[in-house]
Amino acid sequence: MPALAARRDTRIFEWAQTRDLLRELIARDIKLRYRGSMLGILWTLLNPLAELLVLYFVFGTVLQVTIPNFPAYLFTGLLVYGWFQTSVNFATGAVVANRELVRRPGVPVLILPIVTVASNLVHFVLSLPILIGLLLISHVPLTSAALLLPGLIAIEFVLILGFAYPVAVVNVWFRDTQHVLRIALQLLFYMTPIFYKTSTVPQNLQWWYRINPLTHLVDAYRAVLMRGELPEAGGLTYLIVVSIALCLIGLAWYRRASYRFADEV
Amino acid sequence: MDPIVTVSNVGKSYRRYHPDRPGTIQEAVAKGLRRMRHLERFWGLRDISFTVPAGRTVGIVGANGSGKSTLLRLIGGVGRPDTGHIDVHGRIGALLDLSAGFHPELTGRENAILAGILNGLTRKQVLERMDEIVAFAEVEDALDNPIRTFSSGMQMRLGFAVAVHTQPDILLIDEALSVGDISFQKKCLDRMQQIKASGCAILLVSHESSTVEDFCDDAIWLNAGRLIAQGSATDIVRQYQAGMAGASGH
Repeated sequence: MPALAARRDTRIFEWAQTRDLLRELIARDIKLRYRGSMLGILWTLLNPLAELLVLYFVFGTVLQVTIPNFPAYLFTGLLVYGWFQTSVNFATGAVVANRELVRRPGVPVLILPIVTVASNLVHFVLSLPILIGLLLISHVPLTSAALLLPGLIAIEFVLILGFAYPVAVVNVWFRDTQHVLRIALQLLFYMTPIFYKTSTVPQNLQWWYRINPLTHLVDAYRAVLMRGELPEAGGLTYLIVVSIALCLIGLAWYRRASYRFADEV
Repeated sequence: MDPIVTVSNVGKSYRRYHPDRPGTIQEAVAKGLRRMRHLERFWGLRDISFTVPAGRTVGIVGANGSGKSTLLRLIGGVGRPDTGHIDVHGRIGALLDLSAGFHPELTGRENAILAGILNGLTRKQVLERMDEIVAFAEVEDALDNPIRTFSSGMQMRLGFAVAVHTQPDILLIDEALSVGDISFQKKCLDRMQQIKASGCAILLVSHESSTVEDFCDDAIWLNAGRLIAQGSATDIVRQYQAGMAGASGH
């Protein structure tokens, strides 16, 4: 019996230790990003708001898109895509910008991209009250479907990791990955239904929206937050399968490459 | 009792690349991916085997580039050997870089907390030991300033203090002692004697043969990635010095 108890204590200790490590690394990531900027984390919150104003002006006022509750519709898309975009962008530095950690004993390098995605999750969660406020102003009632939000956040986390792992590896070899990525992410922004509806896309392009996991992701968020209903089952299943598959493939590749990180950064 | 560290037949190879190897996607597109492949492998370490029992101190001597630091990194779990394997039982305390893996923009305190957690403690445990760590490192006044304002001696002292206050089962120290002044060196050696007495295994890389001779029980001599000799510290240091004198005599 004492042996069993001791093993349990070791487990609890290891869990607490990993939790503290993750917390400390996330805090470090956020601190380093805002050190020396007065507005600090406010910048990150202002960014999607500014984007919202610009896109609302172009599509809501000038082009007069007829999507009901367009500001809330737009902002949901912007936040969901924003977390994805900034995380994948920052993932380029997950290894090369953490040289001192990669070369230090005691750092489980598999954790580094997780830290990047998690520190951006903090920003995402801090922006959520603004979104909820926007929904309330637009008289969109929050229903119990919104309780699924943590689940969707978990799925998005896994999906982003599926991109973050390979991006971190590629940038070890090619240090201009971020520039190429920026173009790709911008393109993806326009090819994801953020300020328009998939149903208005021409028939011959619909296939893309069916395979793009972000379509299903954005739609699932809108379902639980704006329509007060469960996400569409087929799309959600596809999203979960793709997210887990990408994450596992990315992780396997990253793990293989990680044996040489200390030699190459 | 099982040794704390077992290194068996460990080899680590590095890749040598073409000088024109593309380093950006832009270059790769322009020059093609052909030159991404490595030209050859060379062995940074080859067929290294030894063990370190609890409470023993092993010094590693050898010329620059002989693989000493690579060996300590591998034992610390950074990267992985290409052949053989390394078993480590217990918590590792390490000071492999003079900068201790600190981030220049974070404060001494922030860096020390992270370093303590990376040495295997919880945040709470690190905070409980913080006063002791800071007193040992003698950096009380500077603790909340960014590390970039620390002198290299101060950084080393803080890094060392964290490493020896986390109750490691094995301590890896690379060249760190040479940065501190004499009185701090003595303090470090005293502290290492203490944790050694409590059963900690210590692996020490040093260019100062006297440190290895005085402080270590055993020593191993590396040259060009190979283990030339292992045995008692006194013997190995003597052999090493004789070997070096012979080499420079030509």
